[in-house]
Amino acid sequence: MQSQRGAALIAAPRVHLTASEWRQLRTAAPFVLPWVIGFFAFTLYPIIYSLYLSFQSYSGFGDAVPVGFANYKHMFTDPLFFKSLYNTAYYTLLAVPIGLVVAIVLAMLMNQNVREVAIYRAAFYLPSILPLFALTFIFIVLLNPGFGLVNFFLGLFHVPTINWLGDPSWTKVSVVILAQLGAGGPALIFLASLRAVPTELYESARLEGAGPLRRFWHITVPLITPVILYDLLYGTILGLQIFTPAYILVGGTSGGAAYTAGPDNSLLFYVFYLYKNAFQYSDMGYASAMAWVLFLISIVLALLIMRWSQYWVHYEGA
Amino acid sequence: MTLLPRSSIKALMLGILVITACSTGTSNQAGPPLAGCKSGTSLVTFWTSHTPPDSDSLKRIVDAYNSQSSVGCVKMVQVPGSETDIAKLTTAVRSGTGPDVYMLDRFTVAERAAAGVLEDLSQFGASSLSSNYLDFAWAEANFKSKPYALPFDTDTRALYYRKDLLQAAGVDISALDPAKGPPTIDTIRTMANKVNKKDSSGKYTQIGFVPWFEQGWHYTWGFVYGGSFFDKSACKVTPTDPKIVQAFTDMFTNWSKALGVSQVQTFLSTYAPPNLPAQQNAFLLGKVAFMVSGDWVLGNIATYTPNLQYGVTYIPVPNQGDQPATWAGGWSMVIPKGAKQSKAGFDFMKYIAGEPGQRQYTKDSQHTPTIKALDQDASLFAGGHAFFQKQLSAAHSRPPLPVGAFYWDQLSTAQDAAVRNTTAPATALAAAASATNAKLQQYCPLP
Repeated sequence: MQSQRGAALIAAPRVHLTASEWRQLRTAAPFVLPWVIGFFAFTLYPIIYSLYLSFQSYSGFGDAVPVGFANYKHMFTDPLFFKSLYNTAYYTLLAVPIGLVVAIVLAMLMNQNVREVAIYRAAFYLPSILPLFALTFIFIVLLNPGFGLVNFFLGLFHVPTINWLGDPSWTKVSVVILAQLGAGGPALIFLASLRAVPTELYESARLEGAGPLRRFWHITVPLITPVILYDLLYGTILGLQIFTPAYILVGGTSGGAAYTAGPDNSLLFYVFYLYKNAFQYSDMGYASAMAWVLFLISIVLALLIMRWSQYWVHYEGA
Repeated sequence: MTLLPRSSIKALMLGILVITACSTGTSNQAGPPLAGCKSGTSLVTFWTSHTPPDSDSLKRIVDAYNSQSSVGCVKMVQVPGSETDIAKLTTAVRSGTGPDVYMLDRFTVAERAAAGVLEDLSQFGASSLSSNYLDFAWAEANFKSKPYALPFDTDTRALYYRKDLLQAAGVDISALDPAKGPPTIDTIRTMANKVNKKDSSGKYTQIGFVPWFEQGWHYTWGFVYGGSFFDKSACKVTPTDPKIVQAFTDMFTNWSKALGVSQVQTFLSTYAPPNLPAQQNAFLLGKVAFMVSGDWVLGNIATYTPNLQYGVTYIPVPNQGDQPATWAGGWSMVIPKGAKQSKAGFDFMKYIAGEPGQRQYTKDSQHTPTIKALDQDASLFAGGHAFFQKQLSAAHSRPPLPVGAFYWDQLSTAQDAAVRNTTAPATALAAAASATNAKLQQYCPLP
């Protein structure tokens, strides 16, 4: 009923509300208003303001000085801008596919038909609700090249010592691994979609003699492609905005290193560099310009993924 | 789904209104704003990014001020931030919720003043206090000939050495007696190499000296080699000064190569990972035999490893007979723009950055005061502290530039490249120079 009315609202802009509907709207409006005001004041206004700032030289205080496209031009001559772009692309390309696989595997584990499944679900989901700050601190200890459990475990298989957070070629991989501890969230969504797959399909496939792998590839995967698309889009957009783990890992002081964003600036992600420009170098104009460039990159990537999805996403009933 | 009856919605809203009204009404009561303060004082919010043990000392000073002041009542709040990261402050100030007093790294005062974050303190008569402070500290607290901060502590750097580790390795440590003047870098290298130890897998478990550990910064070795980081008349930073390039080559690139670039990095990642608490410092734990660090380590040693057998001498110099060198840093107290209790805030600043506050802080934390009168009070500098204090008169300080934080990051990036042997020091420093000078230009000429 509600959704039909919603569809009608979209289809026909001119709506005639009955007197009781008007009354309902009047009652509902004050409840919605805080969100609407919040959206305009805290989302829309900053977005537009940052576009304005991207054409200014502005420290955050005093008067902004118009500089035309100087902030945008500066990006082309700023080696750290390209470094941060490279780091972010590297991270996203690695983290999104790995995150997808981990989330699906977790969801399948959570979907097992055993009595204690509730315990497994809670256990797999638990790391996702821990604060990232605490997780990162634990991670620093786990990844210690000398005493860390990770290297200890790898050492059992004669893997040479890896300097996870001190070697520029491993730092981003460390952050990708850290990100997998948050896979519980997407896994829950995959779990819901797995449970929505009609069991008749599996039964008939089994009767036809299809093994577990074949059933997975030909029934499960096609039917959860809409959720895969969602995860891909969402993961990519979040991946481009990666900030917190890097900031916690290397933003503080370190007695043994002079770096400001990981060894060889290898954890200088795009948003981290944006943050530094805004709040450490008092260059709000350049930071705003960077934000807009990231916004454009995100839109282009999202559109590309949407277009690509036409070839592999299967909508039931479509 | 049915909506609530309108009468209950009205009752709910009325209830919320009443609760809100009551909760705002209570703040107008008479009496002290906080326990431990006098009645009629104004509530002053003071933010610091310091952590224990230093923040414990700050709290003691705040409590002492509150108990005797009839002007201000200070509430100290620990906030996230660092020497160069003041994101919390800038966003709060912009939204009108900033503190009344903030503790800011002194070498960034010019930078933050240029950005417009700080109040000019001449309106409170700060200029008349200038003669109380050491000259270099007062200079750092000024921008365009106006005071924007009151200097708080300072510090100098020296070479700490572990007597037990060196003697166990058969090293004669008599050359490290400060009475003999600064040791040469070659002397230290020879001693340090005897302490290096590896385990069966070839990993270092002990290294004599890692020059860039702790306070062995770009500035430290640059000053030791006699380099100059800034040319005021040309309004340009000069990290490509051949002496600085030489310092980078000797102390970072070559030293790292000699120890093994990746082995020494693994050692540091193991024993000096990011965000390590002060009590787990590799020198305190006996993993390194030498360390360049500041006077505050004396306080940490006294607290965490009181039986440590260590000594302190000058930072080593390139050639026999060279003058010793060090640099002094430190913090300051500022009033951010838009502070609501700036007058009471300044009253507190005069206390904490004045004699009573600095005396307490020096005793507690073994930092060095910037008040001239205290600097001459020998009773404040017990044991090893006197050595640090004595170096102050000849100490360098970082150029207080409006792009100081940016320059620091650029130098750090160059240092990292030199340590890793990925870029030649001259090239890395040239990149730092061009990036920083491009940003500095808009402020030239500097007064």
